[in-house]
Amino acid sequence: MAQPLLADNPGLKKLLLGNEAIVRGALEAGVQVVTCYPGTPSSEVPDTFFRLSKEGDFSFEYSVNEKVALEVGGGATLAGAMTLTTMKHVGVNVAADPLMTLAYIGTPGGLVLLSADDPGCHSSQNEQDNRYYARLAGMPCFEPSSAQEAKDMTRDALNMSRETSTPILLRTTTRVNHLRGPVEFGPIAKLAPAAGFKKNPSKFVPIPAFARPMHVALLKKLEELRELAEKSEYNKVTGNGKVGIVAAGICRAYLSDALADSGLADKFKVLELGFSYPLPEKLVTDFISSVDKVLIIEELEPFIENEIRILAQKNSITIEVIGKDNVNLPLNGEYSTGNVSAVMHEVLGLKQDKVTLCEAEEGLPMRPPNLCAGCPHRAAYYAAKKVFGPDAICSSDIGCYTLGILPPLNAADFLLCMGSSISAGSGISKAAGQTTLGFIGDSTFFHSGITGLVNAVFNQHDILLVILDNSTTAMTGHQPNPGVETTLIGSNPAQVSIEAIVKGCGVNDVRTVSPLNQKAMTKALEELKAIKGVRVLIAKDPCPLFAKRALGKKPGQTAYVANQSDDVIRCMEEIACPAFEKCEDGVKINEILCSGCMLCLQLTKDIKARKRSS
Amino acid sequence: MSTRLRIFMTGVGGQGTLTATNLLAQAILDSGTDLTAGEIHGMAQRGGVVESAILIGMASPKIAHGEADIILGFEPLETLRALPYLKPNGIVLSSTEYVAPLSVSTGKAEQTPLELIKDRVNACASKAYFVPCQRLGLEAGAIQSGNIALLGALCATGLIPLKPEELAETIKSVMKPKIADINLKALQLGVDAISK
Repeated sequence: MAQPLLADNPGLKKLLLGNEAIVRGALEAGVQVVTCYPGTPSSEVPDTFFRLSKEGDFSFEYSVNEKVALEVGGGATLAGAMTLTTMKHVGVNVAADPLMTLAYIGTPGGLVLLSADDPGCHSSQNEQDNRYYARLAGMPCFEPSSAQEAKDMTRDALNMSRETSTPILLRTTTRVNHLRGPVEFGPIAKLAPAAGFKKNPSKFVPIPAFARPMHVALLKKLEELRELAEKSEYNKVTGNGKVGIVAAGICRAYLSDALADSGLADKFKVLELGFSYPLPEKLVTDFISSVDKVLIIEELEPFIENEIRILAQKNSITIEVIGKDNVNLPLNGEYSTGNVSAVMHEVLGLKQDKVTLCEAEEGLPMRPPNLCAGCPHRAAYYAAKKVFGPDAICSSDIGCYTLGILPPLNAADFLLCMGSSISAGSGISKAAGQTTLGFIGDSTFFHSGITGLVNAVFNQHDILLVILDNSTTAMTGHQPNPGVETTLIGSNPAQVSIEAIVKGCGVNDVRTVSPLNQKAMTKALEELKAIKGVRVLIAKDPCPLFAKRALGKKPGQTAYVANQSDDVIRCMEEIACPAFEKCEDGVKINEILCSGCMLCLQLTKDIKARKRSS
Repeated sequence: MSTRLRIFMTGVGGQGTLTATNLLAQAILDSGTDLTAGEIHGMAQRGGVVESAILIGMASPKIAHGEADIILGFEPLETLRALPYLKPNGIVLSSTEYVAPLSVSTGKAEQTPLELIKDRVNACASKAYFVPCQRLGLEAGAIQSGNIALLGALCATGLIPLKPEELAETIKSVMKPKIADINLKALQLGVDAISK
């Protein structure tokens, strides 16, 4: 059976994840090239394309980082292909360089950049508002609030990008990426094959002489796009109240429920902005002229609020603008139906019925995220801490292994961004001569670790880099990277060797060992400890979840406690493997959770291996 | 029956909380009712808390404190942790069988007693149902199907616009026959568990 997402089946209604809806929208527009770097909450978009890639009529790649993804996508759209490039919000920082210029030279085939923002930091190091990028680059911005809109806006943004030759930002937030809702399918467009790149240096080569008129042209184009925003069906006015509310993104969903819950719908006139930049100034001016005061509801930055304040001043409209400074609408975190409702009441001067909530129970045991049972990173950290002691500085990076921050491993002392472990670690060691270990994953090494390594060699820094190579991109859901042997849909025919790259960068002291072999791992660490300069240890063993799922590897053996002893308790306390459980007579090992990594056997004689019972 | 309803689901990563959410959401949609569902798992690899939500007749994918009509707890400690989400006089359905957090299994923290959890739930909810999900799952043929038993129990309460037969139809349409059989049995065991 053909994949329903790929089939031309207009009218079908399916429950889709927001991210799946984005995929369907792109397919309906006739998308021809998809590039990405995975990152939560965007990952299911490329992952769905990846699964469909054998049957689908588009080309797909996991690029090594976001800059590369946007550059490949940029080339594809210049050659006339309808293109989607996806990443999480912090990925756009990496891609910002090509992005700024792409808006100047234009996107003849169409190009939509998905920026999946994360208010509330559910899975990110910050909660930056990427609507800044739309304004900085001069690109239109769409902000869906439902699965249906995620689908429709992706389709419409791609088409608009192609018609206007402007890159468009599809700005989602975690709640939109990870909601599920009914989506009614439309027809799938079949585009002619990409026509190929047509040479025109004055249009496509931004040397200063050409860049200046390009900027002028972009500013003119933004005014044309503003006209499209004025007429867009995603920007609509409802209700007749005396108080206005302007809402964008997922806040539109919270507002809709708050209006229904509170029974205050007739008090408000609402302007929803789904196509939020360039701001439809006429629509907004008319709106604020028609109400007594206006409340602005948008998560994170007060973009629309400030633009409305400016519009009111420019047009001499005396109106109270209520936003981040006036009521409880913070600049951080997510909003909710509840806080939107509270603000609505406050603006009307109404008291809200006080609801007595069930109290949170104090002191419940927490469930922090943890390295899985059998994770080879645990073994690598354990050996490194043993050899280097607690005072060595651990420069961490972005991935599952960041969870090594938790005690007892305490293996992450600071972190800047993807790929920073070696470069920032180099800085620590350079500034004060502290012993520094950098930890980076295989995908992150390809992402942006290589340049830091080249820099460390060239500038003669003193650092030991441990590349934690678990043969997949584990944190975001087992996406392939250039170094992997196998992907979720087959083998990697073009494997790139990390060891060869490291040597090619000019590192002479390189070892590759399995961290699950503690003797070899410890020996390699001790040898490298004795040397100065840039040294690299590649700690290589597959992620056990990936090994089970993709490689079909099932552990034949399980560890068990043969003799209860202090040594067993010490082992449990030092490695904190989730397969260990305290029990009446001491400690036992949960056979269902044990992955058979056998790290614990190497730490105490009182734990032994046996065949699994099932 | 209310056409506007918020169901808050909570469990532990790896338990199948999201699979159960998707199945329930698909079944409600199949039965002709539109809904929005949401999930937040972030960095919760296996062993972290997973929270999800189904909202009927609403636009938002999110349930805030004091808003849930129903809490569905796939693990008792997480049921207790989620109680602030319950609206006054809401309903709770919870598994009674633990998945111990690491701090408990390594002896660093005490397991919260089931009696205390039941007391707190009963004090908050207008009605509460406790179901031994893992045991029912094992009885049906697979421990993971215990979640479906809890969904069966939910349908049997008559509180949501979905009958157990309708959930069964969706199970048959989305699962392979062998797995569907186990889950259909679990569904029935869940229905029986609260009908007694």
